[in-house]
Amino acid sequence: MSAEIVIAHLYPREMSIYGDLGNVIALRKRLEWRGYDVVVRPVEVGEPVDLTGADIVFGGGGQDSGQLVIGADLLARGESLRALAASGTPMLVICGTYQLFGHGFTTIGGSELPGISVLGARTVGSTVRMIGNVVVESPFGRLVGFENHSGQTTLDPGQEPLGTVTKGHGNTSTGHAEGARTMNVIGTYLHGPILPKNPRLADHLILTALNRRFGVTELAPLEDAVEHRAADVAAQRPQ
Amino acid sequence: MPLWFTLAVTKAAAMSSRLLGRGGGHALPGLIAERLDPGLAGRLAARLPHGVIMVTGTNGKTTTTKLIASILEASGERVLTNSTGSNLKRGVTSALISAAHLSGRLDATIGLFEVDEASLRRVTGELKPDHIVVLNLFRDQLDRYGELDTTAALIGEGIAATTAQLYLNADDPLVASLSRYAPRADLVHYFGVEELPPDAPDVPQTASDSDRCPVCRSRLVFSRTFYGHIGHYRCPTCDFARPTPDVEVTEVTSADASGSRFTVAVGGERTAVVFPLAGTYNMYNALAATSLAHGCGIAPAGVAETLSTTVAAFGRVEELTLGGRTLFLLLVKNPVGLTQVLETFVSRESAPHVLFAISDLDADGRDVSWLWDVPMEALIPADAVVLTTGIRGADMTLRLHYAGIAADEVDDFTVAVERLVREIPVGGTGYILPTYTAMLAIRKMLAQRTSMQEVWR
Repeated sequence: MSAEIVIAHLYPREMSIYGDLGNVIALRKRLEWRGYDVVVRPVEVGEPVDLTGADIVFGGGGQDSGQLVIGADLLARGESLRALAASGTPMLVICGTYQLFGHGFTTIGGSELPGISVLGARTVGSTVRMIGNVVVESPFGRLVGFENHSGQTTLDPGQEPLGTVTKGHGNTSTGHAEGARTMNVIGTYLHGPILPKNPRLADHLILTALNRRFGVTELAPLEDAVEHRAADVAAQRPQ
Repeated sequence: MPLWFTLAVTKAAAMSSRLLGRGGGHALPGLIAERLDPGLAGRLAARLPHGVIMVTGTNGKTTTTKLIASILEASGERVLTNSTGSNLKRGVTSALISAAHLSGRLDATIGLFEVDEASLRRVTGELKPDHIVVLNLFRDQLDRYGELDTTAALIGEGIAATTAQLYLNADDPLVASLSRYAPRADLVHYFGVEELPPDAPDVPQTASDSDRCPVCRSRLVFSRTFYGHIGHYRCPTCDFARPTPDVEVTEVTSADASGSRFTVAVGGERTAVVFPLAGTYNMYNALAATSLAHGCGIAPAGVAETLSTTVAAFGRVEELTLGGRTLFLLLVKNPVGLTQVLETFVSRESAPHVLFAISDLDADGRDVSWLWDVPMEALIPADAVVLTTGIRGADMTLRLHYAGIAADEVDDFTVAVERLVREIPVGGTGYILPTYTAMLAIRKMLAQRTSMQEVWR
């Protein structure tokens, strides 16, 4: 029996929009290509799931209505997610889930959706829809993706962003910060989906997980020619 | 400003646009008219003696509009329509202008317009449609509209501004829930499907677009799912449930790549239909057209006869022959549409030949993320011969790579199609799946090489 990695997929029914499912596909295939077995464990509203065995946690974007549906359930899982984050579990959360991994989201109507404060970020709804291709400089190299949000996300003092936008908006319509990163938890607005076209980021999550579970210190390289070509095309597209 | 003057200016603009080779002049006259005389479209539409029909929804607008046009023409109407997919307000206005004499007289008896979901509210107040058909609501080009619930609310606004007869898809919860925007309950008519054949292929469902109750947000319970979130549903918490259809497909006796045979019940009357467009999604388009026709007083027997002789709308399902091979041109624009096309045409073939042409201009939808919401792994046979092209052909190659399918990427549309034809054995069949602008480019190129009709006639 080969070694197994467990991916916890937060709310695939409510929070899986704009191809964010592709991130789970990318993590799975890149692990399988390297000889690991992968178990994807969906975490749905109201369903008891023990998160402690999760090697990687993923949550995608959704409609505003989806955020409303998952809000209370996510809060109830807040403590175990914060504990996982504090112990170094790699996590990737996108758009709507990114917002709720911060302190909370104040909608344009003024209602308050509390978050679980894994990341030092607060989001306020706005009338500006930030839509288009995005290029980010980050510790994981150039990242490409597509953003589509009206939430303006401000980082706490001392909260590191994921990177700096060189094209597109990122966290706010006025600044240059994109996403947030605390230990191995990464929040971002990038759809695209982000991982298939940014394999270095995908492999960072994978190596972190393999290191924690099996003490692996190096990944077998993949060719990644198709990945890089698609990323180069995406980087050249107008905002 | 006199009517003839606006008409003369806008008609001249359309003509020069065509002469300059900038397309068919399907938008420019409307754009100019909106500046010169914002009420023009409404004044022209008011001259149509049998009124105005509008068709909206995510998938199937063009095909359904074409089916309705054929049905109306067979019943003796002269139909004014925006037939080439120019479905924003300016496209509707342009169609009216191009059909008008300088005096403002229209030869047509009835107006039939496909209208973009977000544009509906911009045209209903002014054109006062007598009938509105809403087909379905799926994620599509959300970079333009924001979110699906927003799109539904925009359509609702458009409906609320009229006293039109409404024809709603009973099997789409979000569409059925639009009845609440109707000013009166007796204006609402539903169409739906009772049951698909048991041997319909089991397509794995990706995250559903709309499986929450539009009223109370509880998760809907589905007793039948036909595709995407289309099926029979009820809310376990509140009293929202699939309404009983007025016009219904009661039985599907066969469904394959050559089309469907089914029975439609209108009132107590049952009519057998042989419909040559393949796919469950196209059966719904035929059903929507039948429902509308019933509302216009056209008998189902006449409708069935027209449906049996139908040909597909521009680029939606076109079949042509090139170099002794049969090519299908099948427009794709969103996950549910592409899933349906692959399921209908590609998934059941052995070693199918497929060319994906994926672009990301405005008319295609600028975000190509949706390619990852299609279960390619289950829908494309492992022995398929697959090519990719288009501005974002590389994204498609990448998506297929992660589905375990090796695809060859070709930069140029013409080279890609030639390569596809060479790969197909003589007498064989291939499938070209383009997004909108890629479809226009490929169609133009094919029109020069085959007997296909030129687009901008």
